[in-house]
Amino acid sequence: MPEEQNNKSKNRANREGSGSISRRDFLKDAGLAVSVPAIGSVAATAETASAEAPASPETAAQSAPAKPSPDLTAIELTVNGGKYRFAVEPHWSLRQLLRDEIGFTSPKDWCGGLGACGSCTVIMNGRPVLSCLTLACECDGAVVETAEGIAKEKHPVIQAYINNNAFQCGYCTPGFVCTAKALLDRNQSPTEADVRDALGGNLCRCATYQRHPPAVMEAAKNLGPK
Amino acid sequence: MKTWKKFAHVDAKTVDEAASILRAGNATLIGGGTDILGAMRFEVLPEYPEVVVNLKSIPGLDYIREEGGLLKIGALTRLEDIAKSDLVRAKYTALAEGAHRTATPHIREMGTISGNICQLTRCWYFRIPDNRFNCYRKGGKTCYAMMGDNRYHSIFGALNYCVAVNPSDTAPALVALNAKIKTSKRLIEAEQFWDMVVPGSTVLASDEIVTEIQIPAPSPGVKSSFIKFAIRKSIDFPIVNCAAMIGAGDARICLNAVYNKPYRATEAENAIKAKSINETNADDAGAAAVASATTLPGERNKWKIPIAKAMVKRAILACS
Repeated sequence: MPEEQNNKSKNRANREGSGSISRRDFLKDAGLAVSVPAIGSVAATAETASAEAPASPETAAQSAPAKPSPDLTAIELTVNGGKYRFAVEPHWSLRQLLRDEIGFTSPKDWCGGLGACGSCTVIMNGRPVLSCLTLACECDGAVVETAEGIAKEKHPVIQAYINNNAFQCGYCTPGFVCTAKALLDRNQSPTEADVRDALGGNLCRCATYQRHPPAVMEAAKNLGPK
Repeated sequence: MKTWKKFAHVDAKTVDEAASILRAGNATLIGGGTDILGAMRFEVLPEYPEVVVNLKSIPGLDYIREEGGLLKIGALTRLEDIAKSDLVRAKYTALAEGAHRTATPHIREMGTISGNICQLTRCWYFRIPDNRFNCYRKGGKTCYAMMGDNRYHSIFGALNYCVAVNPSDTAPALVALNAKIKTSKRLIEAEQFWDMVVPGSTVLASDEIVTEIQIPAPSPGVKSSFIKFAIRKSIDFPIVNCAAMIGAGDARICLNAVYNKPYRATEAENAIKAKSINETNADDAGAAAVASATTLPGERNKWKIPIAKAMVKRAILACS
């Protein structure tokens, strides 16, 4: 079956001529392949901590216009420990800023911006918030942490999620991880009821729900001396 | 994901400044943003706001404190802070529980108490993207829910021809706790705060801004409770919810999501007032609360009536 697919894509590439894009490139460009690296980064980060954002903090600061036009708001925010300066339009969401401008792709879109799924959760100033319903221009001075940053600092929640196999497709996992980490930041010894309550806003279409509370409880246990 | 159409964004420094921007024309307020940004993204409203006025930049509107026999909650206090406050949980249980059962943890971390009481209705004809049903609430001349799918709609009839329900979880708690809502212009009794207007859900003038919630400290021996029925325990809006405050010979019971505004169940209050709280009396009070309930054409919302009855009964029992 995989061979067949390979052949198909080869044929297609041939048909389109050697200079045209391959199917793989096409998928990448279309953004459909986004979920694959997401699984990879969450699963692999326990060892490799590959949380580098494509736009490094310095270049982002340089690329920001010196004098923002009246439509643009100059903001400065800290994302995963790096400082970023941007001139943002009023109608940009924080999710859009993180994904499209900075390159942290862990905040996902699932429910289409209704605030119903929790896939776009990031930790902002210690609170788990929905980045799709946060205006970027209101984030001046904010300290934001995404799943990439949590993986980079080797937070026990990442390894606990791997140990407990608390995901299937992985699309919703960054949201769960952010929510769980925000809970553990405030409450280092949560009860299972606390965990269930805190994760109540995250949906998982693969329905791995029963794996999440043990994973977060294990992470709490591994947080070290309290 | 659908993105927002362009708008201008202003960080207000004072309540007066925000009010003056509202007076200047097509503008809307943003606190937590969880309601208004959704409505704007899907272009639910007849008029897309040109200016969004940020209230979060106004200092000193985020507090919970007791002062002169009143609990004062700033308009920009996040729901999660209210739900977690030991003070609110101990003495104003109905409000803490109502705030805790609102939406999801994320939305509670973002959403404010003033936004929660001022939120727009969730009627699916009203909320349909791109403003496709020009209903009474949008200035039109038809209620699409009346003859359409009204399974989540009012069981106490229409208000100004609209059969949508108020979806707030904190609103019934504020009515039961006899709260007052302080705005930039006046002090409004919680019970008088809601109304069916185009397109909002409150009696506020177009340039009026909620600044504080005031709740009188309950006298000793008075208990309050909140109970909610929803399809899922988290995330969902209420099918029916109920808050009660009972003790010292008085009772205040308020249902929500059953009528266009929070519905004070005076019949149930009279039924339980002078009596002891037990299974039979609570059941009678529940029956009294829904005695005047009616279904809408098609009877699709008939199932909400026994739920409302049970909610009243359980809210009363939780006050014992």
